[in-house]
Parts: sequence; structure tokens; C-alpha cells
Amino acid sequence: MEISRRGFAEQLALIAAAPWFLEGLKPVQQQQTQEPSALAKALAEGVRLRYPDRFSAEDLTAITRSIDSRLRQIERLYQTPLTNADEPDFVYSVYRGAD
Amino acid sequence: MADFAFLSVVELARLLRQKKASATELATYFLDRLERLGPRFNAVVTITRERALAEAAQADGEIRQGKWRSPLHGIPYGVKDLLATKDYPTSWGAEPYRQQKFEFDATVIERLGAAGAVLVAKLAMVELAGGMGYNQANASFTGPGKTPWNPNYWSGGSSSGPGAAVAAGLVPFAIGSETSGSILTPAAYCGVTGLRPTYGLVSRHGAMALAWTMDKLGPLGRSAEDCGIVLFHMAGKDPKDPSSVDRDLKGMADPPTKRYRIGIPKGADKDIQAEVAANFRAALKVLEDRIEVVEDVELPDLPYGAVAGLIIAAEGASAFDDLLKDGRLSRLTAPEDRTGGYPALAVSAPDYLRALRVRRPMQRALDDFLKKFDALAVPTRTTVANPIDKPFRDGWPGVTGGANVIGPTNVVGVPGISVPNGFGVQNLPTGLSFTARAFDEGKLLTLARLYQSRTDWHTRRPPID
Repeated sequence: MEISRRGFAEQLALIAAAPWFLEGLKPVQQQQTQEPSALAKALAEGVRLRYPDRFSAEDLTAITRSIDSRLRQIERLYQTPLTNADEPDFVYSVYRGAD
Repeated sequence: MADFAFLSVVELARLLRQKKASATELATYFLDRLERLGPRFNAVVTITRERALAEAAQADGEIRQGKWRSPLHGIPYGVKDLLATKDYPTSWGAEPYRQQKFEFDATVIERLGAAGAVLVAKLAMVELAGGMGYNQANASFTGPGKTPWNPNYWSGGSSSGPGAAVAAGLVPFAIGSETSGSILTPAAYCGVTGLRPTYGLVSRHGAMALAWTMDKLGPLGRSAEDCGIVLFHMAGKDPKDPSSVDRDLKGMADPPTKRYRIGIPKGADKDIQAEVAANFRAALKVLEDRIEVVEDVELPDLPYGAVAGLIIAAEGASAFDDLLKDGRLSRLTAPEDRTGGYPALAVSAPDYLRALRVRRPMQRALDDFLKKFDALAVPTRTTVANPIDKPFRDGWPGVTGGANVIGPTNVVGVPGISVPNGFGVQNLPTGLSFTARAFDEGKLLTLARLYQSRTDWHTRRPPID
């Protein structure tokens, strides 16, 4: 089945969100062969620098690919129009304890 | 010996009322069954024998005096091992927390206890509720959850133990959790009924957090009727959970003659396993005199996956920041989980907040869409359970279709229910899901009960005894 670029990005996002969204995984296997972006590599290097003795080369490859996938998801977030008045869906409540 | 294993809550309550069984007899029966059969399905972490027998003895004493607390009085149950339980370990399915103890009961356990239910077991789960990105069934220190219909296949996740334990007749009902699919998936793969309540309807106090703004607790049971009874006794405002809400569940049921308008998302039964598609259409046929079907409806085109991905990644990385910091992730069972949390360290705060801002118009758009229908209907999963010895991606190659409803509806926190609707490949069960607007649990339960009043899939027993 053909899948659009947008659909592909959505599938990547869903797989990152929860591993049971695995239908139509072929595009993700294709993704494995793509070179991660420079930004993904830089961000992965930041993770490595936090924990310099923790990761194997294989671990870092997996981390870099995961960051790369997420960066692609994030692009779609910024395609949804918002205004300055659109607040996050949580509400901060001020606290005052008993007198 | 009496055969209580596959009786519903309603049937067991009747036996208790008629003095044909005692709470202690029921507790002992299910405790023995958990011990004997639990390991076969990797379904159990801890059997709470002492507590169960004490609670059962108390129930028997009260029942003898004619004091009935609720239809759950004296009924045994299990909980996913992410609910804090006084005096017993709460492992979150993860090796680093195997000996973790809390000095209090989760609110859900308190409430079920107040209703007289008897806690018999802490049940297995995918480590950290799957938050580190597992991609195969062996992702818990208890081993891969196995569906009682065929132990070579997965019980689903992350509420793997609750699904398997209910299906195998180890408990009459169980409490699971769902951040994005973790109740409905094991319900479908194990052939039981699973209800994911609206976000906030059930207190999360004492439950392991994966994503604070997406985690929900709900029942898995033998029928929609049982799930409704359990929900009624666990729901409601809790001062210990600021996100919890009060709703009158009594008044939510629809009149029995109502005709339901059901939306079928575009592609829901296209390019999925043939048996799953056939069972889905057959289920709609069963209800045809009571439903008006609207085919090929399309959810608003919004980035549900991107929002879910960022929220779960960022909130999960924060919820488990101690594991990330001290490196104990390396002790998790699934190799992919040992590095799965680190990429979230690269999520920026503005991007996370963007996801939370996008979710608000997303909620409104999806509510506007859902209000056109009484419910959406889809096959719960596009395939039967995955084989336990293969990565999920290799389990059922070639299945590329279906409509993703679980993801979007979890992002916005609306309720869903899955009921068994037949069998597919390898004689494994399939599921039918209904999804509705926030706080429309009554509608979902009525629809599911109507379906179960006309079918017997929910009464089938796996070949285990």
C-alpha cells in the first residue's frame, strides 16, 4: 500500500509513541537506511556528553535514529496554526496553605 | 470441586448472596489457580495470599451479619503491578524496582477495598508500561506475557498480566492502565472485555506515572456489565489526584430502545487480517437493527502521533529521570528499553509545550467530530496477537492497513471499550472497539452489553484446564 510522506511521518510518530502502532512498518525499515540529520547527530552527541561512558557505538546509532525520527514529527506540530493566546492544556493554580 | 473460574462478577455475587459460596472459598480458589496457572502465562508477579484471606474473612463476617457493601463484596481481583499496595512489592514490571515498597494503597485499591473486593494478586506488565519503546514481547522481568489461547503468542501490553489472568480464569476481573493502547490491546489479544475510561474519571494516585497527562486506569473483565460495575466503584474525584473529576455514572445509561449512530473510520477494515475484517463486519451485522452505520468517516487531520510521541517521551523521561541519571535503565529486560529513554533528553521544552498547546484545539476538533456519532467502531487491533518469539514488525508482515483510533483518542483522553468478537489466525481472539466522547462510558457500556447479549464470544474459554 502506498503511503504519503505525511502518513509516513505520522506512522513514525505513532511508533515512537507506543510500540503497538506497528501496522505498515515497511516505511520505518526504509527509514533505517536514511542518514540522520546533522541536528539529530548533534543532539545525540549532547546525550553522549551527558553520559560519556555509558553507550556503545550501536547504542548511539539507535539514539541518533530515534532523535532523527522525533525531529521529523516535530515539524508537523508547527504546521498546526496557533496564536499567542493558545495556552498549553494544563492550568497552574496558585497555592495558599492553611493560616 | 466448584468451578468458579469463568463466572462473571454478577454470577459470583449471586453465589455469595445465596450462601452457595463464601468469600474465603472464592479467594482460596483463585489463589490456588493463580499459583498453579499464573506461571504458564507469565501473568503474575506477587500473590497477595495473606491480605486476600484477611479481606475475605472480613467480607464473610460482614455478609453473615447482612451487611452488603456492593456487588463486589467478597469478589477476588488482581491489579497490574504498577499500583502501590501496602505490605507487598510494587515492581512496575522492571528489574530496578523489583523490591520497591510503598506504605499506602493506591486510591483505586482503597476504593475497591471499600466496596468489599478482595485483592488476590499483583499482575505482570511490560516494564515501565512500555515507556522506553519496547519492540518485542519479552520486555518484563516476568518474561513475555502469553495469551491463554495459545502461549506461543503475546498477551498484549502493557497490561499483559491483567489480560492473561482474566482470560485464564485466574481472577474474575483486573485493573490495568492505558497511556496509549495498554488496556484495549491485551483485551483484544486475550479475548476479554477491557474499558479505558475518560482521562480523570479514575484517580491515578498511587499508580506509576508514565505520562501524567495521558495515563488512565480501567478494568478488564468477563463482560461489559462487569467492567461497568467495577468502574462505578473505582471512579470519582480524589483530592490526591488533581486531574480527577466527579461524574454521575448512574445516569449515563441510554434508553434500551435507542438506535445508535456509529461512525466507521475510513480504511478501518482495509488491508488488515482477513479474519479480523470479517469478524468486524459480522459484529456490525449482529447490531444492525439497533445501529445506523456511517461509513468512511475521517478524523480531523491533526498531528495526533506527533503530539502523543512528544508528550510520552518528555513526560516519561521526566518521570524516570532517576533511572536515566544513574544508569539503571541498563537493568531493564528488553535490550531496546535500555537506551529507549535517552533520545527524550533531546526534546526541547518549547517543543513539549508546543505539543501541549496543539492538544487543546485537537481536543475541541475531535469532540466536534465525535459528537456527530454515538460511537466510532473499529477492529481493536488489525491482527490477532503477535508471536512472542519475533519482533512486532515481523509478526504479521504485509498487514499495512486499518484506521488508527487508539492513538488519537488516547491523546485527547476519551473513553474506549474492546469486546471479543470472534477468532482469527491460529484460533486467536479478535476484538471490536467502540470509542465515544469524553464521559460517554455509559453509552459504550450499553452498546457493548447489547452486543454481548446477542453473542457468546465473551463466554468462550481458552483450552487450559
